[in-house]
Amino acid sequence: MPIGFDIDRNLCTECLRCLAACSLTKLGRIQPSLARIAVKRQWPEIPEIRVCRFDDCPGQPCIDSCPVEAIARDAQGLVLIDGDTCTGCRACVEACPYGVIRMEPGGSEVAYKCDFCGGSPACVPECATGALARKGGS
Amino acid sequence: MGRSSMQDLLIRIDLSSGKAAPWAVPEQLKGYLGGMGYGTKILVDEVAPQTDPLSAENKLILTVGPLTGTTAPMHPQSCIVTKSPLTGTILNSYAGGFLGAEIRFAGLDGLILEGAAPEWMLLVIEDERVSFHSAEAVLGKGTAETEGYLKERFGPDVRTLSIGRAGEKGVAMASIFSETRTFGRGGAGAVLGSKRVKAIAVRGSRGVEVARPEEFALLVRENMELLKTACAEEYNLVGMFSRVGTGAGMGLVNGRGALATRNHIFGSFDGSTKIDGYAYADRFYTRAVACYGCPVHCGMLHKFTRTDGSSSWLRGPEYETMYSLGSDLLNADPVVLAEANQICEEYGMDTLTTGVTVAWALEMAESGMLEEPGLDLKFGSSGAILGLLRKIGEREGIGDLLARGPKGAAEACGGEMDRFMQIKNSGFAAWMPRRMKGTGLAFATSNRGACHKRAPIGAEITGQIDMDAYEGKAALVKEIQDRVNAIFTLVSCRFHEFVTPPEIYPRFVRAATDREISLEEFLAVGERIWNLERLFNIGAGLGRADDRLPDRCYQPVQGDASEAAVMDRARFERMLDEYYRLRGWDEQGIPAPQKLEELDIPEYARLGAR
Repeated sequence: MPIGFDIDRNLCTECLRCLAACSLTKLGRIQPSLARIAVKRQWPEIPEIRVCRFDDCPGQPCIDSCPVEAIARDAQGLVLIDGDTCTGCRACVEACPYGVIRMEPGGSEVAYKCDFCGGSPACVPECATGALARKGGS
Repeated sequence: MGRSSMQDLLIRIDLSSGKAAPWAVPEQLKGYLGGMGYGTKILVDEVAPQTDPLSAENKLILTVGPLTGTTAPMHPQSCIVTKSPLTGTILNSYAGGFLGAEIRFAGLDGLILEGAAPEWMLLVIEDERVSFHSAEAVLGKGTAETEGYLKERFGPDVRTLSIGRAGEKGVAMASIFSETRTFGRGGAGAVLGSKRVKAIAVRGSRGVEVARPEEFALLVRENMELLKTACAEEYNLVGMFSRVGTGAGMGLVNGRGALATRNHIFGSFDGSTKIDGYAYADRFYTRAVACYGCPVHCGMLHKFTRTDGSSSWLRGPEYETMYSLGSDLLNADPVVLAEANQICEEYGMDTLTTGVTVAWALEMAESGMLEEPGLDLKFGSSGAILGLLRKIGEREGIGDLLARGPKGAAEACGGEMDRFMQIKNSGFAAWMPRRMKGTGLAFATSNRGACHKRAPIGAEITGQIDMDAYEGKAALVKEIQDRVNAIFTLVSCRFHEFVTPPEIYPRFVRAATDREISLEEFLAVGERIWNLERLFNIGAGLGRADDRLPDRCYQPVQGDASEAAVMDRARFERMLDEYYRLRGWDEQGIPAPQKLEELDIPEYARLGAR
């Protein structure tokens, strides 16, 4: 099955349940500003939904941008950042065409992004309108 | 085991000295759970009932609850409690959106604003840090512009509230705006203005956990399933809200002859299909927008062309406004209605009391008791409606008199108070006591005046119970008032319990905070709060004479669908007697000592002592 999201931002109600679920899953607490998915408000126009596009990202430039090969595409098709290898140089942050790679706040300064929750993203079932779905169905 | 969602921490902000300090929640407050419970208990403990609402001695308490900011659906709101300058009673007022969640993410259960600032200021809350900034750049500006400025200056991710010119100028029905949502009722905007706070921005970085994460997640899933089912049903009210917004029900209300029209003279409006939710959906719909974490998304964002030809947006109008700026003013033009709503938003004014005030002014003008140069004061006149609203917001000409609230306006204009559709000086919400007897009793006995949030509206309007019957309504009203007060300690959206059975609330409280509470105890918290409010109001000088309906309610509703429905005076008084008895109050509506003992608040009897 292809890895990625089907996104229809026209259906997004900006409720932010996806951000809440993401931060809860990854941090054990809800803090939408630290989520790996973002809904960029463009009020009153339709918002942008920003998250790693995986198979839909042409060329996946983050992988080649990393000078220490901390980013790789695994057998399943997940593009993942190895936090232990990451030196925090921010090259991937610059390279990402969607602006969805961020640096962890605080001292560690390691790059992070959506890891598709290993195959079943926690954000997807939270979306009440279908603005966010798993590519190829759930 | 996680950490309780409640942080047991509020920030106390002394505006007079410009100092802020964390305030740990004392043990005896924790039983009030949060939200309205916290606000009410703090206010009655710290503000004397006779306090001038616009003085530095009044306080404004902004709180959230155990479910705010979590994944529990339909819990985006925050609650303001203060003494109302409109009603002179204790006030609780609510807004949805994102502010509540952000307060929670800041690691706070709320803010207590006290004193009054020497100069107009903006407050920025970042976790427990508070900074004070001059408001000079936005003084005199509208709410949306003010909040846009806050996002530009303090970052696009801050969540905000603000007042407009009405709040700055002390308009009695001034509201507080928050990113298209509004703390509408009771004049909280004037209180904030009296403290010279133009706006507040909040940014939180702490996030929120719950005490029992797995239990909580299961409850969320159970609740989401219920809502999903409701939203998919054609005739489920919440489902209709989900598709077309809160204006979906106007056709039903109109058909039952219960749509207040022309200052409540008529019970149906032939223009209703031009201004209801379906009319807006047909002509102006762009998309649905939700409050934080809400799968219902009842907010409808409309795009329309204004009367001056410019293009504009409005999230709304909501149902209550379709009445107050629509049917009650004989306004069948959805564009004029949208513009009227925008004026109320820009100036920061409650669409209900403001609309009811305009309806009264138009009726007084018809009788020749009131006039304003340049305005043709007639029902249905767009110039009169939009002109009066702007003048109230500006406190200009006759608007300065109308801005004083019903009693003040009637005194200043020499108009007839008994044709003013108000209770305790608060304008009527969109419902007709003559047509719906239980709702009439709920309006009359509300602690904040003519309030629809704790009334048997759904049961009466859908015919689930006989809306014209008096029997059994006193018990029903008491039960709803207590239950909704309990739910408002969690600051649940009012629509949450339309779908969700009450048994879920104690389970949510336990999963979020680890506090064990039975449903009976939970509902008793609601009754305790109701009695505290009542005692405060009695101390403020109110009593049985204020639990009354305006005279118009004792005259038949006109229009065929309304079947000449009327409130019978003697039967209303009997209903009120029964209600007092069921509440354990004396015949003057004063809580008896035994009742206060039973509710474990005997020490508050002093509040009601005059």
